[in-house]
Amino acid sequence: MNAPTFRPPSARWRRYLRFWRANPKADVDDEIAFHLRERIDALVERGLSPAAAAEEALRSLGDIETLKRTCLALAEARENDNRRTEMFEVLRQDVSYALRTMRANLAFSFAIVLTLAIGIGATTAIFSVVDAVLLRPLPYVDADRIVMPMERYGSSGRGNASVGHYFDWSEQSQTFTTTAAAQGATYVIADGEPTRVYGLRVTPSFFDVQYMKPYAGRYFLPNETDESRVVVLSYPFWQSRFAGDSAVVGKQLTLNDKKYTVVGITPKAFTLSDGDERLWTPITFAPGQRTNYGAHFLFVFAKLKPGVTVGQAQRDLERVTEGIRRRYPDEMKERGVEAVAFRELLIGSYDKQLWVLLGAVTFVLLIGCANIASLLLARAAARRKEIAIRGAIGGARGRLVAQLLTESLVLALVGGVVGVAVAKLGIKLLMSAAPDGVPRLQDTSLSPQVLLFALAVTLLCGLLFGLAPALRATRVNLQAELRDGGRGSSGVVRDRLRSALIVTEIGVALVLLVSAGLFIRSAILLQQIPLGFDATGVTMMRMSLPPQRYQDAAAVTSAFQRIVDEVRQAPGVQRAAAATRVPMWGVSIDMGVTVEGRAPDPKRNLIGHVRLSTAGFLETLRVPLVRGRMLTDADLAPAAPWVVVVNDRFARQAFGDENAVGKRISGWTKGKDTPEWRQIVGVVGDTRAFGRDNDSPPEIYIPMTQAPDGAWDAFGRQMTVVARANGDQALGTPMRLAVGRVDRAIPIFNVQTMSTVLARSMATRRFSMLLLSLLGVTGLVLAAIGIYGVIAFFVTQRTHEIGVRLALGASSRNVVRLVVGQALVLSITGIVVGGLAAFWATRVLKTMLFQVDARDPMTYGAAAAMLVVVALVASFIPARRATRVDPLRAMSAAG
Amino acid sequence: MKTELLHGTLEVMILKALSWGPMHGYGTGRWIEEQGGDALHIEEGSLYPALYRLERKGWIDAEWGLSEKNRRAKYYRLTTKGRQALKANASLWTNFAAAVGNVLNATDAPART
Repeated sequence: MNAPTFRPPSARWRRYLRFWRANPKADVDDEIAFHLRERIDALVERGLSPAAAAEEALRSLGDIETLKRTCLALAEARENDNRRTEMFEVLRQDVSYALRTMRANLAFSFAIVLTLAIGIGATTAIFSVVDAVLLRPLPYVDADRIVMPMERYGSSGRGNASVGHYFDWSEQSQTFTTTAAAQGATYVIADGEPTRVYGLRVTPSFFDVQYMKPYAGRYFLPNETDESRVVVLSYPFWQSRFAGDSAVVGKQLTLNDKKYTVVGITPKAFTLSDGDERLWTPITFAPGQRTNYGAHFLFVFAKLKPGVTVGQAQRDLERVTEGIRRRYPDEMKERGVEAVAFRELLIGSYDKQLWVLLGAVTFVLLIGCANIASLLLARAAARRKEIAIRGAIGGARGRLVAQLLTESLVLALVGGVVGVAVAKLGIKLLMSAAPDGVPRLQDTSLSPQVLLFALAVTLLCGLLFGLAPALRATRVNLQAELRDGGRGSSGVVRDRLRSALIVTEIGVALVLLVSAGLFIRSAILLQQIPLGFDATGVTMMRMSLPPQRYQDAAAVTSAFQRIVDEVRQAPGVQRAAAATRVPMWGVSIDMGVTVEGRAPDPKRNLIGHVRLSTAGFLETLRVPLVRGRMLTDADLAPAAPWVVVVNDRFARQAFGDENAVGKRISGWTKGKDTPEWRQIVGVVGDTRAFGRDNDSPPEIYIPMTQAPDGAWDAFGRQMTVVARANGDQALGTPMRLAVGRVDRAIPIFNVQTMSTVLARSMATRRFSMLLLSLLGVTGLVLAAIGIYGVIAFFVTQRTHEIGVRLALGASSRNVVRLVVGQALVLSITGIVVGGLAAFWATRVLKTMLFQVDARDPMTYGAAAAMLVVVALVASFIPARRATRVDPLRAMSAAG
Repeated sequence: MKTELLHGTLEVMILKALSWGPMHGYGTGRWIEEQGGDALHIEEGSLYPALYRLERKGWIDAEWGLSEKNRRAKYYRLTTKGRQALKANASLWTNFAAAVGNVLNATDAPART
């Protein structure tokens, strides 16, 4: 017409868009256009020319573009408001509907919430430990760049480094910014009751490598040595010893009879576990030590240059170590170097165990979810009519799925909330039951990350067990459903889905049971390993003599002899003796051994672990004599001929099947040209000196009066006194009193019965086994419930068919066979699937097992048998019910 | 203050216009102008934003329909909420207008102290 601007060409098209949804822009345009046309018409009626009318109409509206923009903004804001309220309204409806449904089926909801609460709670609890121990970064600055260069012994183990190694590594390596060394030391604090604390003597750079801002005071200055007499305290030690008195910085502390000034306190997080060092003093190396490559006692720490990998550091260290090997081929026999990330070293042994536990607990949760899904499927079947009606009266499929999903999510959230409470309890339980020494276990808490994890798990569970039933339930033929009253032909499909769930459940349960079984088998096998000694009724007491008062070897041995004599007199003591190492406790030093009349093997060192002992030590522990004789008091007399007793392992290593008794060996003769021959007078049985899960070392028992030069310094003037009781009572108190009669100032650092120490050495393994067994049993019970549910449902569904069969003359036996057979088919399928999964999954357990193959057929067989039995029992109850079906009623009811 | 009052006035007058029945925006403006005589000049540019604001508040809602001249027009209708708002605001405005009138027509001089 006359004013084309009023009717944009696209207006017509945009109007069609309105068919799909409101189109505010088109609405505004059209409304303004309408206004203008009406206005123009009115003005023309009043006598204006059309052109003047159009101009006047436009003018009176003012700035049309601004007007349109204002209106559009308002319209869009309204649109958003509406959408939001609509969404909330839908959500509110769904949630309140879900809550009503929950209330209506209280027992049903309770079962689901309980299953979820336990599953989510347990998973969250274990995750909180994983979070604290494994996931949180170490507190030190640039902690991921800290490595520990270590010496490597043969193919077997990592060990401490010599002073020579430390200096060469520090000076010649090119991949580190800082290096530090530390030596473990025990300090006797004389103020008041003499106490021993474990500490480290460190190079001042130690606190540069493991840096955190000091809690109070400062760390060591680069030029400070042991002579500076300064000490840094750890936060826990400061708390326990000085009750957190901050005035302690600058005060003096008597350590090993010398006065040290406290210069600083480390922050709380610096100490990672209860077993860590309590204090630090600077270390001083004697000039001669710098070229010592034979005594290995240093922990070396280093900080990688930025961007340098552990592998690069490893190659760098190998290059330096090759240089040492060329200069000192003797010391470097079978020795190498290995750079290990500090973090890996710290949590390496817990890493896998915790992930395995988290995996296992997730499996239990999965079984739980499968059960819930199965329950919901069963209920969806019962609600088919309700859903069909909702569909018929216009509920879109999407809305129905959303409705059913909301129900599952509400269930999951309720379960999740209760689950967090369960997790709080679980964390307490885990922390009290966990073995000692797990780094940062004490930091376990329901942190925000953990809560987030719980929320994610909860939502995932809700989706997992809710989605399939929701999709299934809405995929119904509305007409058929309403016509034949909820007994549609789609039942078969649903049945298959539930069967698949059960197969999965049984498969997962099998993996759990096999894992638990492997751990149990390991523990049993381990328990059956002969220790080589009799631990019952033996009490051990570890002590070291202060070097100030017990300087030379004679003073040391006579003191220990007097102590042993006193302990032997103590009430209740049957036998007593002492040695530098008893099984599980004490310092173990190995030495290279030469056999008389035999040239040393250039490739392999003959090694023996040295134990200095009093007479009667092997008898006290009841280590059996293989041939020859034990050490006697006569061997300890001054000027007695030099003799040793060796264990079977050493005898076989050195002499094969030859009789070792009478042969002469020599070792620990550093700095001397001539060998010091010691005659083997007896061979004794092997002992598991490092615990049941470690091989027996080759051992050499030397009378303590015949100790090699410098041996007492190396052993730290330390021995463990063992006493066997008349019965199996603990002897701690009489032994302490006996030592007190010799010298009150001798610090005793630990008194324990041997059985306790042995049990504790197995604590970690036992803990894993216990938890896995618990999870396995939980999985089994849940699987049983699942089987029961499905079979019971199967029976209900087939009531009609069973009625017909019974009417046609089938016996109860046939019916039971039909029902139980159904369960058996499901379980065997599950076992096959689970078996394959377990084959693959248990590979990760390999290193955690003891003498059990991860594919141990016995374990697999037992787990499978257990599941079959459970399936039979769980299906027998509904099967019995099936036999009581009244054929007439069943058939007439079915129609 | 003054414009605020005016906005409020316009809105309440729109509600009143719609209380007679559904009406399009143009018609609403015309009716108000007719009732108010020359004293009330409605700024056409402010009429539509006021309508959209009322719609957002949920006091009126709109539907497309055909006008007397067979043109597509957007018809506004008072909602229940709108009816209540009209009642509340109308008395507020009448009282206000009466009060302002009283003040301006006052014959008593302020008491001297």
